[in-house]
Amino acid sequence: MIDRELTMSRAIVEAIGSEMRDNDEVFYMGEDVADYGGIFDSTQGLLEEFGHDRIMDVPISETAYLGAAVGAAQQGMRPIAELMFVDFFGVAMDQIYNQMAKNTYMSGGSVSVPMVLTTAVGGTYSDAAQHSQALYGTFAHLPGMKVVVPSTAYDAKGLMHNAIRDDDPVVYMYHKRLMGLGWLPAPKGPKTPVPEEEYTIPFGAADVKREGADVTVVTLGLHVHRALDAAAELAADGIDIEVIDLRTLVPLDQETVVESVEKTGRLVVVDEDYRSFGLTGEIVSTVADEALDALEAVERVAMPDVPIPYARELEQEVQPDASDIETAVRNVR
Amino acid sequence: MSDDRVPVVADGAWTDDVDEEEGVVVNWFAKAGRHVTVGDSLCELQVEKVSVDIDAPTDGELVEIVRDENAEFSIGDTLAWIEPEG
Repeated sequence: MIDRELTMSRAIVEAIGSEMRDNDEVFYMGEDVADYGGIFDSTQGLLEEFGHDRIMDVPISETAYLGAAVGAAQQGMRPIAELMFVDFFGVAMDQIYNQMAKNTYMSGGSVSVPMVLTTAVGGTYSDAAQHSQALYGTFAHLPGMKVVVPSTAYDAKGLMHNAIRDDDPVVYMYHKRLMGLGWLPAPKGPKTPVPEEEYTIPFGAADVKREGADVTVVTLGLHVHRALDAAAELAADGIDIEVIDLRTLVPLDQETVVESVEKTGRLVVVDEDYRSFGLTGEIVSTVADEALDALEAVERVAMPDVPIPYARELEQEVQPDASDIETAVRNVR
Repeated sequence: MSDDRVPVVADGAWTDDVDEEEGVVVNWFAKAGRHVTVGDSLCELQVEKVSVDIDAPTDGELVEIVRDENAEFSIGDTLAWIEPEG
């Protein structure tokens, strides 16, 4: 029995520390990751063990240090580079989209880029339109990057071990609300028992967080917990939903989703990213491609196509919550 | 409950680094009923903007959590009780 519980941030740090002990080529760099320990606690305590040579604060130039990470990876190191907020990707778009994602292909396979790009995602805490986005679709859209979105401490640790060992670039997107910070309290759920020993969770394996017979709810990150909250409310009315946590977008576990819809016939996709041209449309069309006959009803719950408001009441209005999921499930019934 | 229970106290060297006397319990890493070993990180406190871990003072069973997550505490308060082994 595992009785030690960890927050998601501590589970991530444990995996990184373990990989750094085992492999001298692994190092971490980013803004405020050394002396501060990461503004979302993503590197808390690592500086004390590994020193400034392997836990490096960088100047505020995402282009420079993400480019340096790509180069170091191509030379055989295993960098982990942190983009403090995913919203900042634009200033380093060429390094991410054209170098990190494509250099394996462009070099004819003569180099690989075994790096992890860690980044904080998500809103719900009044940080306004430039610090609150999820942007899952922005990274999953372009070929060449694997995309990981953990929802619990247990998953976060196993997925991080796998990300560092992967020979391709991995974008590891952790939701700020799930990390377990004092100033940004997590919902119940992300803090889980975590084994002290190392373990991996393979990419492309969705996890059924709740089994159910009536409606399939596909989601990820923070909204796994909101879907589980909705499930508890719906269960009181005799509606039994299945909650699928995708865990990775690239590769995408189509099979688990399709099998579930073949069982329930009804699909609700929940995403914190924008509605248009994103995850919700992708999952719905995947199911339509593979199992159109099984699909009796479908709903999407996503961020409307607007900049995310700063004002608390307005942000709560646009952020999909448990009651929005409940409503969507009732609509497909 | 016998009198040999050992308190888990919100105190330590970190108190020299903070001006505030009060803080909030952020996370428990153990549930009541769990066996703990001296030095295990039991919970995380936040005082001002500093976060500190409180370790188990002794081996034994964590029998009672007095200050739950999100509860406020003052330095020196008892956060939980451990029933020592043997």
